[in-house]
Amino acid sequence: MTLSAFVLALCLVPLAASADPVQGQSPPAPANPIGTAVLGFKERVAAYVKVHNEAEAKVPKLKETNDPAKVQSHAAALADMIRKLRPDAKEGDVFGEAFRAVLAREVRRDFLGRSAADRKALMEELPPKVKVGVNMKYPTDKPLATFPARLLQKLPELPPELEYRIVDRHIVLRDVTANVIADVARNVVPTTSS
Amino acid sequence: MPTRVLRMPPRPALLLAILLGALPLIGSPQPMAARAAAIQAAAAGAANATLAPHAEKSLRFAVIGDSGTGEKPQYQVGEQLTESRTVFPFEFVLMLGDNIYGGERPQDYSKKFERPYQALLELKIPFYASLGNHDDPNQRFYKPFNMDGKRFYTFEKGDARFFALDSNYMDQAQQEWVEKELSASKNKWKIAFFHHPLYSSGEKHGSQVDLRATLEPLFLKYGVSVVFSGHEHFYERLKPQNGITYFTSGGAAKLREGNISSTSEMTAKGFDTDRSYMLIEIADKTMYFQALSRKGELVDSGSVEVVKSPPAPPSEAAVR
Repeated sequence: MTLSAFVLALCLVPLAASADPVQGQSPPAPANPIGTAVLGFKERVAAYVKVHNEAEAKVPKLKETNDPAKVQSHAAALADMIRKLRPDAKEGDVFGEAFRAVLAREVRRDFLGRSAADRKALMEELPPKVKVGVNMKYPTDKPLATFPARLLQKLPELPPELEYRIVDRHIVLRDVTANVIADVARNVVPTTSS
Repeated sequence: MPTRVLRMPPRPALLLAILLGALPLIGSPQPMAARAAAIQAAAAGAANATLAPHAEKSLRFAVIGDSGTGEKPQYQVGEQLTESRTVFPFEFVLMLGDNIYGGERPQDYSKKFERPYQALLELKIPFYASLGNHDDPNQRFYKPFNMDGKRFYTFEKGDARFFALDSNYMDQAQQEWVEKELSASKNKWKIAFFHHPLYSSGEKHGSQVDLRATLEPLFLKYGVSVVFSGHEHFYERLKPQNGITYFTSGGAAKLREGNISSTSEMTAKGFDTDRSYMLIEIADKTMYFQALSRKGELVDSGSVEVVKSPPAPPSEAAVR
């Protein structure tokens, strides 16, 4: 069973249980908060991809080219259009508070399962002094830290337009082609000592 | 038993020039032009110990990794590659990532790729790139890298199929793609190349254990014979790991001097005292390899046999 199918199945349980709510009472908390958080995140990712696709449709198409200037200008134009289409975007708009907590727990678990040397090696790969914020450009002169393959397998799969990246102690959602940061989950990566 | 790391002693270029000049040109296994180029290179302070191909009709290519600094050593390796081609006429080049370090403005592509390899590009030698952690994934749209707009891709040359992977981000989609493409390949040789080494004796980075857990089972299942990686700024040939030969060749511009662990049991041969690159020849079931320094010294050479194809799944009739 895939992660998505598993999460969906879990989410159907609280829906069935709440079919006959008692009048006047506040709705019960979801029986599967993790599944709900993941589903919510996936919906917000899908909404972001819609914006990305709308932006793509409004800028000239990029084909393979001998001219790197064209590659650069396409990324910049796409980034500008995305910013224009979500001018009020703020931190947490895609991750969401509930999923941020799920993410922090998964990352912490993954890091605790690694040897000290492995954790240290991971942290050493991180680019130094990169400022991140929603709608900011990820600086192309800084390396992109390799995302640990094992951790990646534990997180909800992203569409090809987006990717997770670790920057400092944060996880960012990076728009791959526009090179724009779609969202930031701050302080979810434990320090090597924690 | 401690492993041995090869540290090349400096070789006087003048002596080599005299030796080359003194050898009779008639009867030489190398073409005249190649020998003339070797003499010229030696006189200019460089050697050319490139080995000529073993077979007349074979697939030949070069391998460079961590190349895109735009600094002098990259240009020197570029020149040496061109020299090598006079003896060993390779038809394409694999790039193991970190193709453009630092800024990625148009002038950076010129300084860190087009100019260092200008002579080869003018000869229409194609380069096939994979992405490193210093590369903007949008490099996939840069035509001279032949990535077809994709972070991971495959292409066929002769009896070999090459799989260029993006080891920076091994997500589910890429894993499924790797499995699909490997299982569909009927080629005698399956060769993977990507930035991060699954096995390495580097003290700075070392083996990428996470990535190994994901990729190695697929490589074994579908009969990958050879893997090329970079990331570590040196040359290392690993002892075969579960039957697969792994090369790290990430020293085409940067160097992490003395970084190969002297206590590693995995090293078959290591070279971490100068920049390096590789030349590969595939002739039927044998792959011949050579690694050279930027001064043209032979660092390592040998051969690898193709791994036997994995057993075919039982047919329906057999299952019944």
